[in-house]
Amino acid sequence: MNNSVLVIGGGIAGIASALELANCKHDVYLIEREAAIGGHAASYCCKATDVCTKCSVCLVPQKLKEVKTHSKISTLTNSVVSKVSGKAGNFQVEVWQKPQYILPQRCIACGMCFDICPTQPKAIYPPSPEAVPYSYVIDESQCLRLKDEECNLCEGICPTDAINFERKPERQELSVGTIIVATGFDVFDAREIGPLGYGRFPNVVTGLDLEKTFSYEGSLKLPSNGKEPHNIAFIQCVGSRSESHCYCSQVCCKYAMRFARLIKHQNPDCQATIFYIDLQTAGKGFAEFYEECKEAIRFIRGVPVEISETSLGELEVRFENILQGKVGRESFDLVVLSVGMAPRRDSWDLARILGINLSDDGFFDTKEPSNPIETNVDGVFLAGACQVPKDIPDSIAHGTSAAERAMEALERCK
Amino acid sequence: MQVKIGVFLCDCGESLKNIDFSRIREDLQRLEDIAFVDISHNLCLEEGEKAMTSRILVENINRVVIGACSPDLCEHIFTRLLEGLRLNPHLLSLANIREQCSWAHEGDVTGKALELIRMAISKARLLQPIEREVVPVSKQVLVVGGGFCGMRSALELSRLGIRTTIVESELTLGGKMEQFEGSYGIETSPQAILNLMSNTIEEDENIEVLTSAEITSVEGQAGNFPVKIRRGGEQVSQSFGAIIFATGHTTKTLPRDFEPELGRNAISQRKLVEMLQAPEELERRPGTIGFVLDVSDENSRLPILSTLNNALAVKERLGSEVYVFCKSLKVDSEGMEKLYREAREQGVVFLKFEEKPQISKEDGRLKVEARDLLLGEEVALLCDFLVAEEKVLPCEGTEALGSMLNMRTDSQGFYQDENVHLYPVASERKGMFFVGGCKGDLDFARTSMDISSATVSIYELLSSGKVIVEVEKVKVEPDKCQACLTCIRICPHSAIQLVRVDTEKEVAKIYDLACDGCGICAAICPAKAIRFEGYADEQILAEIEAIGESL
Repeated sequence: MNNSVLVIGGGIAGIASALELANCKHDVYLIEREAAIGGHAASYCCKATDVCTKCSVCLVPQKLKEVKTHSKISTLTNSVVSKVSGKAGNFQVEVWQKPQYILPQRCIACGMCFDICPTQPKAIYPPSPEAVPYSYVIDESQCLRLKDEECNLCEGICPTDAINFERKPERQELSVGTIIVATGFDVFDAREIGPLGYGRFPNVVTGLDLEKTFSYEGSLKLPSNGKEPHNIAFIQCVGSRSESHCYCSQVCCKYAMRFARLIKHQNPDCQATIFYIDLQTAGKGFAEFYEECKEAIRFIRGVPVEISETSLGELEVRFENILQGKVGRESFDLVVLSVGMAPRRDSWDLARILGINLSDDGFFDTKEPSNPIETNVDGVFLAGACQVPKDIPDSIAHGTSAAERAMEALERCK
Repeated sequence: MQVKIGVFLCDCGESLKNIDFSRIREDLQRLEDIAFVDISHNLCLEEGEKAMTSRILVENINRVVIGACSPDLCEHIFTRLLEGLRLNPHLLSLANIREQCSWAHEGDVTGKALELIRMAISKARLLQPIEREVVPVSKQVLVVGGGFCGMRSALELSRLGIRTTIVESELTLGGKMEQFEGSYGIETSPQAILNLMSNTIEEDENIEVLTSAEITSVEGQAGNFPVKIRRGGEQVSQSFGAIIFATGHTTKTLPRDFEPELGRNAISQRKLVEMLQAPEELERRPGTIGFVLDVSDENSRLPILSTLNNALAVKERLGSEVYVFCKSLKVDSEGMEKLYREAREQGVVFLKFEEKPQISKEDGRLKVEARDLLLGEEVALLCDFLVAEEKVLPCEGTEALGSMLNMRTDSQGFYQDENVHLYPVASERKGMFFVGGCKGDLDFARTSMDISSATVSIYELLSSGKVIVEVEKVKVEPDKCQACLTCIRICPHSAIQLVRVDTEKEVAKIYDLACDGCGICAAICPAKAIRFEGYADEQILAEIEAIGESL
């Protein structure tokens, strides 16, 4: 009988699970595929105007800090689970960690390696500002040394001997009592809907692009020429509520309205239009927020089918204007596609390793519809958007309740 | 005790080239109370920590000042180090000379770095230790409300070995569960679930049930809430470590939103479910059944859920024509889009309006008139039955209980306004948790997440029978307190109470366990009687005065 818990995925749901378990005195292994924990939510931006719009993004750095300082949580970054055996109460887990060319516990983020790196763009660079662990990252496709060329500049200059290119992938065996799967989602690839022109027209961007732009720049400029946009359209349900993605992604109406408000706040002359099928206004305080938005933002029922570029470089959006009962054409200088959440492309691999089922949509499936946490394998639980799409507060709630189930399962195994 | 300050500076692997560390050391050594100034290359690494540890032990200093990188990156390392040395971690003062100094400017910034460090030193001189205390807590939990959420909470707590008392105002457990008949599809019978749960609760030794009872007062703080419970004519007092409020919500058809009163043709969802359960008792099969949504409430998910489930059941059992009038379909919960598609495939027609539909009587049937957006035309539909929208409302007594607890309600009257930092179930008062319908309309998955989250938070708080708290981080100086009650009124956590010090005088007292350390009271106190350690006026003024002293 083992009292520790494995949490696969260091996004906001996994972090919530790990913290709750650790606070209840369980040892937690938090496995993260990327170099830093935080997942998607760590790259999102605050959407406050002159008031907070309750997007919850600020919860992420706060939780990351708690994980960093918690003695009961061992975080393994750059790691994947490759094999699981055993049963509830006693799982054996094999974890592979990519070579740690930069040891996170030795890196002091002084930046000397970045300064000396000879490639363009730099092959070694600082992580995102909120990253945990805050350790420099190597781009393996850029690094001369990893391309078998002679270069030892960063290793030589590092004052703390954090860099070592001789390191090999490491295999670890973990024994845990229960497993929480919190691997999250992939953002829907808007290129799949060709007529919307994402990837072809620089001024067609996605909600995720907007998150990153606001995180790094703080304001929005047209990608094509760096000027202020004057007329922005948001297109809802891109990659949601379709034949191939038969579910509502639950976050897009909210983020689109928050972004539209934020853009209007920064630039009151800018027009904002939201094209939608149905607005998801349920949830605490959201109907009121929608009422406020209606004053400043134009809402059009009907989702555009095609975007083309005019000779003036504007984007012409063709849509069915349901209110007028005819096809409408309108020009915008920026179009934001409100992309939804899709199941992770590698879900199947993990499902096979753990023996858990996938739903028709490709997300991990639960044992019964009324129970959003337990899987068909005893002792394996789901948390966050790997089950169905969820926003940040729901992911935290789901992660917390998965922790409770995991603890209960451990009690039962005693 | 004589203040003795040790200063540790870190040049981050000699990378902070625009700061002249030896010049800073020279200047600092001339200050009073300074035992030593050390320059390290890597304070945050193992070797740096080791050097720091031995230096602190040898010099026997009692204040530590560190000039290094952002506290966000390194503070926890130094706090842990001091704790290991049995030095109070609050005797630490940090100056960020990397992100906010060296990296922020071009050219030599020795002057600014020096000022930042001198500010930290000035503050360090005035720092007071904050001690920790072990406070025993009661492991008994009170659950207010014996409906589905209350029962589930008690059962889950019991499975984690925590004892609960359920207080239910009605004669029996179950709350409004029967009201939700049909909401989750007619196959799911709330009555059957209720019976199963009440039986389990009856056999559970960890759960005590008090029916026909209500709470009349709640005092104290997390870990120890003395609660008065009135039952029959008598009143009992008991202390609880935490309280779960699961007082639920109710649904009601509002006459102002739905003109024909409920009657022969205009029916409630519940009446429809009764019809569906015994179709053979109907005089004749209804030809057309209509549903109207989004007229009174655009905030809830429950009405659309019951509409979809019941529309499908109508199709299956009665084969009638079904029309749903709505504004926006709320499909943002698990499985709702699929349910919606299934309903459409089964022939349920959805008509979306922008303006509220008109309803009138015609030939003994009900006529619904609305402008359908897809058709772009006025639609008039004669219904044999029209199912009214039910608005989700807080239960009676929600407001009264809220004001007793000093707990805010949102614009709809549900508990808690939208505070992202309290997700999912915590409240502004530590140890009090709100689950399920009393916070507003929640679907089943969200409700069960709520319950588990509350359960695990309570387990975390109470399972060891004791809590460690920092004592007097924020404290009232009794001599200065005028008992004006300003702090008591403003404290969002109800952490301040008036206590009698002698026959003459009452003063405010801050309860450490309930205090969240927000500092509002310290800022607002007109008599400046509240001291927030680390941010006290004299500490901040000392920092400001240190600016410009050097060089």
